[in-house]
Amino acid sequence: MKKYEELNHYEALEIPPGASPFEVSQAYKDALSIYNEDSLITYSFFDDDERDLILKKIEKAFLTLIDPIKRTTYDRKLVRSGEADESILTKKERKKPISLFQTKYPRNKGIYLKKIRKKIAAKDMKKLSNEIFSSDVISGTDLKNLRESVGIDLQEVFEVTRVNIPTLKSIEENEFDKLPPTIYLKNFLKSYSDIFQLDSTTIIDGYIKSMTIYS
Amino acid sequence: MTQTCPIGGGKGGSGKSFITSNLGVLLAKQGKRVVLVDLDLGGSNLHTFLSLKNPKLGLHDFLIKDYKTLDEVAIPTSIPNLSLISSTNCSHEIGNLFHSQKLKIIRAINKLSYDYVLLDLGAGTIFNILDFFLISNKGLFIITPEPTSIENTFQFIKAVYLRKIKQVLKQKAFNSFVKKLQAKTKNTLIRSPMELVEIVQKQDPKKGKLLQTELEKLQFRFIMNQFRKETDVTMGNKIEKLCNKHFFAKFQFLGNIRYDERVHDSIYSRNIYMNRYPYSITAVDLQNVAGKITETHEDPALKTVKSS
Repeated sequence: MKKYEELNHYEALEIPPGASPFEVSQAYKDALSIYNEDSLITYSFFDDDERDLILKKIEKAFLTLIDPIKRTTYDRKLVRSGEADESILTKKERKKPISLFQTKYPRNKGIYLKKIRKKIAAKDMKKLSNEIFSSDVISGTDLKNLRESVGIDLQEVFEVTRVNIPTLKSIEENEFDKLPPTIYLKNFLKSYSDIFQLDSTTIIDGYIKSMTIYS
Repeated sequence: MTQTCPIGGGKGGSGKSFITSNLGVLLAKQGKRVVLVDLDLGGSNLHTFLSLKNPKLGLHDFLIKDYKTLDEVAIPTSIPNLSLISSTNCSHEIGNLFHSQKLKIIRAINKLSYDYVLLDLGAGTIFNILDFFLISNKGLFIITPEPTSIENTFQFIKAVYLRKIKQVLKQKAFNSFVKKLQAKTKNTLIRSPMELVEIVQKQDPKKGKLLQTELEKLQFRFIMNQFRKETDVTMGNKIEKLCNKHFFAKFQFLGNIRYDERVHDSIYSRNIYMNRYPYSITAVDLQNVAGKITETHEDPALKTVKSS
């Protein structure tokens, strides 16, 4: 146990050396709730001189640690005297708050997209697209054949388009009763054709035509 | 292995006897063999909390007649496994115990072989109480959330602490260190026992080291009694933190025990509270504390891990 007078600013406030300004002010409030003159917790525990010393120490610790410039100087002093580790001098990357409405795609989208692009580049896309566009009716089976001949699996399509796998399957298997309303379907088909860099309007028109024919 | 647990606290009326009796009941109901010793000499009333009228046998018989052990003067209570050594039949001057009698009692208590020996102490900081409190390293004190109680508690802790220092250093060395401290601070009073420890550590490192290890052996526990809903819930934990920071001894906060009007009712009707109101919030709080004392207390998080 260290004597109270010998505690450094961090120990006096009972926070780790890397604490954030918010933690510093919170710890300061906590310390005051214990050591302040009107606190019930230390009632009659110290005489006035002792309490004054402690409060002055807490005050000084707070004012030093809350000021970024003073804090850096103080941290350097601690490191020099060997009391603290050097790592406290480098500011740690703090996590930023996550926005409530996250609009960005998940990070791994890029990885999958790259993989798919690579596979597409290896194939003769012109020949495959001519094949699919040869008829103006495009069924799910055509789409499936295209996908399989390029060598992309459903998981990869899902990672890029975020259209769930059961829906993708229904599209490819021509299970029209399981498909979402047309407005969504059109968008799904657009994302699907975007992967293969095909003209989306032709694909959507062709697929809708096949729906009217087969159902 | 007998665990002796003195239950004290500076202020009167904080619930020492109430908690002693009900903790005893709870521990006995767990199947432990428990004996309660009423050491509030000159103010003994523990038997009333246990709905016993005028015990026939007690500490008086042990002090006057030639009983060999305290065990022989213990009387059974209505709770199985729970006995009481009452001091209500002692003389009216028993409050001013002779030194030899005190030593006799302390020696006899150390010889008791039960699972738990709970000592109900009186209020104040006279040497008898401090010495009884220091029978075990695991003393328990009761606080209520009022300035008067907090004030008396700190006085009590400091007095116990100083008494322990005196026990470790022995009278002669103790006095010389006190004189040194007085000369240094130009104050006839010792403001805090920690100052004395500092002086010892500075002047005589070897003794200082011994003192520190002896003081670190003390493991005080405390309960916040008569806890009302307006009270700051973190108060107990903050006191624990404060004491751990400023003393060498360890302090452990065992929990809050909520205030209940019915405690008064049960005492008034001379019923055992735990028997009369076993499902009240206060009873649950007492059970938690008893659990912590037997260390079988498991928190819910641990339980789920075990069951899964």
